[in-house]
Amino acid sequence: MIQTAATHLLELNNISLSFKGVKAITDISFRVAEGEICALIGPNGAGKSSLLNVISGVYQAQEGHIRFDRHQRRRQRAHDAAVQGIARTFQNIALFKGMSVLDNVLTGRNLKRRSSWIEQALGIGRARAEDDRQREAAERVIEFLHLQPWRDVPVGKLPYGLQKRVELARALAAEPRLLLLDEPMAGMNAEEKQQMSRFIVDINRELGTTVVLIEHDIGVVMGISNHVVVLDYGRKIGDGSPEAVRQDPEVISAYLGTRH
Amino acid sequence: MSSFNDTPGAAPVSLPQWLRLQAQWHGPDVALRHKHLGIWQVQTWAQVADEVGRLAAGLQAHGFAAGATLAILSRPRPQALLAALAAQWLGGVASLFDPLQPGAEQRPLLAALQPEFVLAEGLEEVQRLHMAQLAPKVLIYLDRRGLSASEAFVEALDYAALLACHPVDEPGLQGPAQHTAFVFYREVGQAIEEQRLSHAELLREGQRLVEREALGRQEEALAARAFASAGQARYLLAPWLIAGFRLNFPENLATRDRDRRELGPTLVAGTRETYTRLHGYALERLPLPGSWARRLVDWALATPSGLFQRHLGHWLVRRSLRDVLGFSKTRSPLLVGDALAPETQAFFEVLGVNVRHWSDSAHWEVPVQPVNTITDDWTGRQSQLA
Repeated sequence: MIQTAATHLLELNNISLSFKGVKAITDISFRVAEGEICALIGPNGAGKSSLLNVISGVYQAQEGHIRFDRHQRRRQRAHDAAVQGIARTFQNIALFKGMSVLDNVLTGRNLKRRSSWIEQALGIGRARAEDDRQREAAERVIEFLHLQPWRDVPVGKLPYGLQKRVELARALAAEPRLLLLDEPMAGMNAEEKQQMSRFIVDINRELGTTVVLIEHDIGVVMGISNHVVVLDYGRKIGDGSPEAVRQDPEVISAYLGTRH
Repeated sequence: MSSFNDTPGAAPVSLPQWLRLQAQWHGPDVALRHKHLGIWQVQTWAQVADEVGRLAAGLQAHGFAAGATLAILSRPRPQALLAALAAQWLGGVASLFDPLQPGAEQRPLLAALQPEFVLAEGLEEVQRLHMAQLAPKVLIYLDRRGLSASEAFVEALDYAALLACHPVDEPGLQGPAQHTAFVFYREVGQAIEEQRLSHAELLREGQRLVEREALGRQEEALAARAFASAGQARYLLAPWLIAGFRLNFPENLATRDRDRRELGPTLVAGTRETYTRLHGYALERLPLPGSWARRLVDWALATPSGLFQRHLGHWLVRRSLRDVLGFSKTRSPLLVGDALAPETQAFFEVLGVNVRHWSDSAHWEVPVQPVNTITDDWTGRQSQLA
């Protein structure tokens, strides 16, 4: 691990990733400032989710390195990323469907526990006081995301839009510095999208959490992001403010389409 | 049960005086409970009186004085109630606006009234004020979330910060009992109508209800609508202060039915909408028509003819239904305002919930003077709603 001075929270340098010789990401570099909302956009297959998986340690890049905070790594495991303060949601909901909303959110607090598994199993020592603290922290997240009416409902019984919100709550429960959201509004109607956008902005403004999100709805992206990175066929073709990206001819041509 | 006759010395003539008395008599007893972070948080009578006194001092420091009006735009929250009492503690008036009323209907009213002292719950309510082109002299907020980007936020006051003041010890005694405690406004066509409730009227009605329903300190009541209607102020706030029971606030409006179920209040002061909603809620959960389970429910809910049907129906169905609806311990189910539909009334009767109708004797009138020139009738001061 190399210690460097951090001017940005996240820095990707020349990241490349391939699967059995097929290039998914090619030489991508960009930086995310602390406290911003950065959107990754691009057509299907552009490599957005792969890139998110590299940042969160699910995939290991074959080339390049990532700097998060002051820690520069060539490779990192998902667990290490979580310990450093990176949390994420998934494109396809990955919750414990049979568990309640509260219990799902509590799983997001797992890394915050200090008691041993024996203490937790027997309910002795630090475990009991810690249970109260974890419960309160989880309840604060539930309140923040207005999930109180469904606190005790099994997640599998909730409509899709609410399940997405529970997944966001679980990620937020880890108190991340960097929140990675993979299509948080996929499959939602306009009202649900508006509500989710509001929550994402609130997380960013009120909690100071840096957000990197993948989203296909350009209206939403332009409305809530400070910074947009555009990918196409695994390459970066645009990087800048929403206004700048919107007027970039290459982006218009490759992603938004051109008039013939 | 408390009554005026139990009061040593002079009988309280205002709501804050009753609060002070409850704090003196029963300081360590629980006065309020509010579900927050999944837990019922409690406040004793002493803590409530202290918070109201501090809030009154904070308001006073920002120019609020006897005769002034505090407009409150909030969902059911204890802070909204305590703010109303703080305004009255200083001899002022609380004017309550329902944040659930459609914005298009409420904005013209707020715009016409131009209140100078406003307590707004959060961003949504502040935006509503902004859209009504209101520029209050003092704006207090309860929840700062999302407000930092709002222009009005710069000079707005945090409710929590107001509590740092040293409490005002004595409730305002300047006004007579006929002094207005609450004022409600509505727009009818192009005209604005008002409904004024004096301390005397509230206490008289409250005392009547306490006596008729034999309400005591052991009661648990749920304040699901805050006090955005005169009926709630009349039949919940005043009896609470007089009888000294526990007033419970749900976590939020979306959880009120679940919180009621969890709490099992003994006193319910609901409107026709409340009972109709609960009736609908029960019907939605009944087994499918034609099934044996539904036939059992229908049998149990039929007007019981014999002892066997009455008891078995109670244990198998009616008891559970009461529990689901949060009426398991309710002994004073009150209906404030319009009467229930016959089928809803019958449904609750079969469950053994004898809903008692208390008319909301609302007296709406066009202000004698135009709203923007109203002066308070006892201080001679210009109304702060001017």
